[in-house]
Amino acid sequence: MRPFDYVRTTTLDETCQLLGQDGDSSVRALAGGTDLLTLMKKEISVPTQLIDLKRLPDLPSGITSTAQGMTIGTLTTMTEIETNVQLQEKYPLLAEAAAVAATPQLRNMATIGGNLLQRPRCWYYRNQLVNCWLKGGDECQAQDGENQLHALFGGGPCYAVHPSDLAPALLALEATVQLRGPGGERMVPLAEFYALPEEKRRQETQLEKDELLLNIHLPGLPAGTRSTYLKAMDRKVWAFALVGVAAIVRLEEQKIVDARLVLSGVAPIPWRVTAAEQALVGATANEATFAEIAEFALADAQSLSHNAYKITLAKSLVRRALTMLTDEG
Amino acid sequence: MPIQHIKVLRNGTDEEELKVVETTGLPTWDADTKFTVVGRPQSRLEGLEKVTGRARYSYDVRLSGQLYAAVLRSPYPHARIRHIDTTKAEQLPGVHAILSSANAPDDITWYEEKSKLFDKTLRFIGDEVAAVAAESEEFAQDALRLIEVAYEPLPFVIEVEAALQPDAPRVHDKGNRVDEPTIYERGNAAAGLREADVVIEQTYTTQTAVHNSLEPHGCTAFWEGDQLTLWESTQGIFETREQVAEKLGLPEHHVRVVKEHMGGGFGSKQVPWKQTVIAALLSKQSGHPVQLMLDREAENLAAGNRNATVQRVRLGAKRDGTLTAILADIQVVVGAYMVGGEASEVNGMYERLYRCPNVRTEQIGVYINAGPCVAFRAPGHVEAAFALEAAMDELARALQLDPLTLRNRNYSEIDQKKEKPLSMPNALQVCYERATAAFGWQTYQRPAPTGPKRRGIGIAAHEWGGSGQPPAYAWIKLNGDGTVDVVTGTQDIGTGARTGLAQVAAEVLGLPIEQISVHLGDTAKGPYSPTSAGSSTQASVGPAVFAAAVEAKRQLLEVAAKLLEEEPERLEIRDGVVMVEGEPENKLTVAEVTGRLAPHMIIGQGARGPNAKDKTIRTFGAQCVEVEVDVETGEITVLRVVAAHDCGRIINPTMVDSQVFGGITQGVGFALTEERIVDEKRGLVLNANLEEYKIPTVADIPQMTNVPVNLPDLAANPTGVKGIGEPPLVPTAPAIANAVFDAIGVRLRHAPLSRRQLLAALATQAESIDKSAPPHTQEGQS
Repeated sequence: MRPFDYVRTTTLDETCQLLGQDGDSSVRALAGGTDLLTLMKKEISVPTQLIDLKRLPDLPSGITSTAQGMTIGTLTTMTEIETNVQLQEKYPLLAEAAAVAATPQLRNMATIGGNLLQRPRCWYYRNQLVNCWLKGGDECQAQDGENQLHALFGGGPCYAVHPSDLAPALLALEATVQLRGPGGERMVPLAEFYALPEEKRRQETQLEKDELLLNIHLPGLPAGTRSTYLKAMDRKVWAFALVGVAAIVRLEEQKIVDARLVLSGVAPIPWRVTAAEQALVGATANEATFAEIAEFALADAQSLSHNAYKITLAKSLVRRALTMLTDEG
Repeated sequence: MPIQHIKVLRNGTDEEELKVVETTGLPTWDADTKFTVVGRPQSRLEGLEKVTGRARYSYDVRLSGQLYAAVLRSPYPHARIRHIDTTKAEQLPGVHAILSSANAPDDITWYEEKSKLFDKTLRFIGDEVAAVAAESEEFAQDALRLIEVAYEPLPFVIEVEAALQPDAPRVHDKGNRVDEPTIYERGNAAAGLREADVVIEQTYTTQTAVHNSLEPHGCTAFWEGDQLTLWESTQGIFETREQVAEKLGLPEHHVRVVKEHMGGGFGSKQVPWKQTVIAALLSKQSGHPVQLMLDREAENLAAGNRNATVQRVRLGAKRDGTLTAILADIQVVVGAYMVGGEASEVNGMYERLYRCPNVRTEQIGVYINAGPCVAFRAPGHVEAAFALEAAMDELARALQLDPLTLRNRNYSEIDQKKEKPLSMPNALQVCYERATAAFGWQTYQRPAPTGPKRRGIGIAAHEWGGSGQPPAYAWIKLNGDGTVDVVTGTQDIGTGARTGLAQVAAEVLGLPIEQISVHLGDTAKGPYSPTSAGSSTQASVGPAVFAAAVEAKRQLLEVAAKLLEEEPERLEIRDGVVMVEGEPENKLTVAEVTGRLAPHMIIGQGARGPNAKDKTIRTFGAQCVEVEVDVETGEITVLRVVAAHDCGRIINPTMVDSQVFGGITQGVGFALTEERIVDEKRGLVLNANLEEYKIPTVADIPQMTNVPVNLPDLAANPTGVKGIGEPPLVPTAPAIANAVFDAIGVRLRHAPLSRRQLLAALATQAESIDKSAPPHTQEGQS
């Protein structure tokens, strides 16, 4: 790790100003540090200054109920999300997603803001010897390399997958993120916040350099809505998703009236399969429907040389999630 | 010492030995011996130190003025250093010493003289380029960045088949074959295949697995005058001393190697690696103590691994299951260099485990441009078992025989290679019986499938060495207060050697274990003991402690006899009291005897005697596994493992359990998740970390049962002990693979059994799998 200055600020304005003071990402915000420090150790991120957000009094932390839904402050830890009783009741998939992410030690440190902004785990991106496209290089080595963990959707030029378990759950919940920059605040739906990296923006979000993520707002869900997050890993725990699925379903008399499906581990950003959702609405909840929907959801998947198994896996998880959510009425 | 003498064999027949310590005068612990300490659970003597964090490991050494070293490693799988400039790094404040090919001694070679300590040719990513000693790890890292190296990248090869092509890039000038193939044949294997009613022919592969010991490799080196001390994380303090002395041109008495506690080695610390000598040279250059510990990445790149293999197996059998032929063509992927230490004899198990008149094995080592392999817990056997034991399962299915029946039908009671009897010819039989009985193999009722989940069971067996051998030495010192110091130059690599050796001494001396201290892990303070490898510490050093204790006891009773005015032969020690047979009042405590003698001292010296020459001493084991496979998601869950392992007499059942549970744990990792991933196009190791190199977590570990098999083997030594360190890992992976087949009818022949492999296999075999019912009926299990 390179030497850096540790900085404390007192106001959001001062923090945003500092973050934006030059163009080369030499100032970075530090919260839980569970991702940033690993990037710094590998010199993928080489900041000269770290601003400690945990000492910033105006930065929100904790979970609060609102008129319709809930608001989660950016410094809220994964453990808080996992164990908050109101949240478990209202948004079980979110608590489930938090519970299967990382390790207990990491969940105690990691914040939801950091979780949403974490960088990919792609083993080319994380390798110091590789200058991959995402790091400013010319090519994606995974495309013709060891791509068993890589993307089925939205790949190219980068084939890394988004590592968060919370992001797909929040996307399914149609959350909005509240951002704060030097010019004030803006609200951005998570569906827009995440965007496939492109030539001039080699990152997975629309967050500007001088912006902070303040809150995540969750809209309410109609009564009777059920949700779950399923995650397949190489081992039982403590691994990133090979494939995950965040699913939300509302049934009325065995007919599906609302459905949301977001896949994780399959694209550079959490991947919502809107067409499959639409096909579900109005359909009868049974195995045949779910098998069709699973096929539909993965119809556009494009496998690389070593990741075709993820298509089978994703289909199975979609079927399983829908079956679970529609069982016993 | 009347019980020992030295003889010189000038024309040894089996293997020539110049010095043999005969211990024929020793008593033995036979089947009738009554024990008070041995055979009972005993918690580790060093346990409190470890759980309170006081136990000192290599990294914990902190000396006045200590510097910290870091190593610059090759970023290329194959390259030549054209030019190296360390000027800028030298000028960095806090930097005290730098070594590279520019200034390191040119005459220190490594890896069978195929590399210099700092070679200008680099043959794998992670190969040492330069090293810096500085006042902190951070300074050292900063200095590495200032070293300027001009590399000339060279063509490289990663994949074994590519490496064997005639026009492949050459890892070494002479090519990519380590040596001529090792060929073994008995009978006529080709004819045996022709005789067979059924032939199984399959190719199995095993992956490169990394030891990933909790404590990485490394040491702290310090010169005081001519005297070099190394606090080294090693399985062999004497081996390290000998090699370091030789490399540095030092007399052995000027080198001291210390290892107090160790966070695992699993074979990877059998031999000193370059960093040990680098640390010593940096210390010499700087005049400071230098600590050089590897980080996790270096540990994965450049500190050894289990060789990958490709094994083409052919088995031939008669309709009744009698084997007529066993053939194996084996490629062993050794990495860029041969390291030394225990060889990976993948061929051995094919030649020994089953009775078969016609056996042919051919094994070849192949160099590639990746980190070198080194012994890894049961080297060769883990790889061989994965293939042979799966092939036996395939044969059993083809013959419609229970896999256990097939194994029993081909049971070998002799050492077929040497045509000698086995010391314990029924040991494997006992393992089969106990493991299958405790598992319920014969009576297993497959539960009805629940949704996509299928259950299945599998069995696998193995054989291994573990007899222990001479030489090993120990001293027993009786103190004036009746306490005992056991002194030996062995090391505790995390297995609990101190405790096992203390139990032996306590038993012989009739003392409670609290009165025994074991001192080990220091070449300056104890007599020679061998490297802790080959599951041999308790079986090699235990008998030396036994002999020393017998001698100390003899002297003690001689003194006590005078005090009690009795004949020594009539005396016995029980619970710290010397008693006269049949005269309960006539007694003295051991402390009273030694107190009268003090400050004169009783010292017993003991040596490990030779193993029986007329018999072959091996260890055996069997494991039964039940798995659950989710045919939709490809998830394999190992539900339970029942193990039975022959390790001779059990000194401490708790520690044997620990070895078995640890072995199964590593076996689950080898079977399901552990694999070094290398990008073959670029030579990059992609998972040199514990994030993507996935060792099992607690949640991955099945219910484990170790059924004790306590079969004292007096051909091995008077204590009847054989090793248990390595074997429990051997049968786990093939038993899991066999159970997966039993569950879903899909045969996975490539370790690890990843979801990727399983889902791909399920997709291609989808038609043959009836998802509504188990693939075969209960009859196969009869």
